Amino acid sequence: MEIKGSYHLPCDPQRAWEALNDPELLKACLKGCERLEKTADDRFEGTVQAKVGPVNARFSGSLTQTEINAPHGCTMVFEGQGGVAGFAKGQADVKLDAVDGGTQLSYIADAKIGGKLAQMGARLVEGTARSMAEDFFGKFSVALGGEHGGGTAGSRSDVPEHVAEGAAAPARFGSSSIWLVLVAVLMAVLAFYWLA
Amino acid sequence: MYEFTYHRPGSLEEARKLISEDDGQPLSGGQTLMPVLRARLAMPTALVDLTRLEELKGVNLEGDRVVILGATTHADVASNALVREHCPALAELASGIGDPQVRYRGTIGGSVANNDPAACYPTACLALDAEIRTDRRSIPAREFFTSMFDTALEHGEIVTAVSFPTCQHAHYEKFPNPASRFALIAVFAAKLGGQTRLAVTGGGTGVFRWQEGEQAADSGGSLAAAALSEAYFTGDLHASTEYRMHLTRVIAQRALTALG
Repeated sequence: MEIKGSYHLPCDPQRAWEALNDPELLKACLKGCERLEKTADDRFEGTVQAKVGPVNARFSGSLTQTEINAPHGCTMVFEGQGGVAGFAKGQADVKLDAVDGGTQLSYIADAKIGGKLAQMGARLVEGTARSMAEDFFGKFSVALGGEHGGGTAGSRSDVPEHVAEGAAAPARFGSSSIWLVLVAVLMAVLAFYWLA
Repeated sequence: MYEFTYHRPGSLEEARKLISEDDGQPLSGGQTLMPVLRARLAMPTALVDLTRLEELKGVNLEGDRVVILGATTHADVASNALVREHCPALAELASGIGDPQVRYRGTIGGSVANNDPAACYPTACLALDAEIRTDRRSIPAREFFTSMFDTALEHGEIVTAVSFPTCQHAHYEKFPNPASRFALIAVFAAKLGGQTRLAVTGGGTGVFRWQEGEQAADSGGSLAAAALSEAYFTGDLHASTEYRMHLTRVIAQRALTALG
């Protein structure tokens, strides 16, 4: 399953990269995040209390950055455990491209789902992942804009745009934002559980 | 098995109290909630059963509005004489939800509160400018369905009724998943005040009004050429994004044709 998205951030790629490696900031932007720690230079671990519709479950996961090309991007390998729900794992490529007025962040994640989840079909996975991603990047973007003294460049993207296709330039940038994707995938995964 | 408390309140007032004081999870027909509980994807400490509240069941005609109370089942809506006379497309929609088991348990209040991105009722609500009444207020449908599985409801707020305008010019066209009977894509088409309404479910991110399609229909244009945002659609193992987008145009055209 492939999930991708693209968001405009109101800051330069260097600042975006730093923010995406700041566990406190990420935690504040990720709905339901109870714990998020940087356990090594290239590794994060955490738990998320995920609530989607009637589903309310706790997931734990880890994220490791590989092929780091700061502040341009990286590949992230993630996996998460959702107890009875099953697990998700995969990897994601994140890019940060400098654009007029800020940074275009784009990601492509390839996720695999297993356990009980895999038996149930994936009706709700992508939509849940997208809605979580939008929620995360919305808060993230506002957080970054706020730090820039409320400049116009920041406020313009208070409502981040979700673009179906990533922008062109193949510079590689990345960050733990994929954590968001990871979590999104997990939640999505578990969310579609009751579909049948 | 894990332990929880099951409450069967005798009045809406008692239900409200139990939900706020005991942090109870409202339970209506349970057609989504029960499978979730069974899978341990939610473990509330208390369930508050709303299905025995007679004050939440039935259909009333209030002037030019058909008001369906929250705990009314799909089967009851489908067979109700008032609905069939004053808003027949709604009865038709209700008769095609899930299978007989689902229709005899599932309720309109539960369906709109859950806001599943492939549910049927939200399309009728959006297309017909329904009002969703709760124990606290009345919310226009266009403000109620905020995103998939998300609504304007506050914590513990109960849907007590959904109020629809009477409407003879409406049609619900559904392309069901043959296994689940959820909409792969479904469109509720209506003429409201001389204007065409098209509401779409099943796209993947939640119910939406296809306004470009409505404008095309009203100006004699072609639905095939009307703009349709990809942001409303996702792909899954049942259908790709492209397929769902194509299906939306096809099903919307069928709905309009049936509308005449």
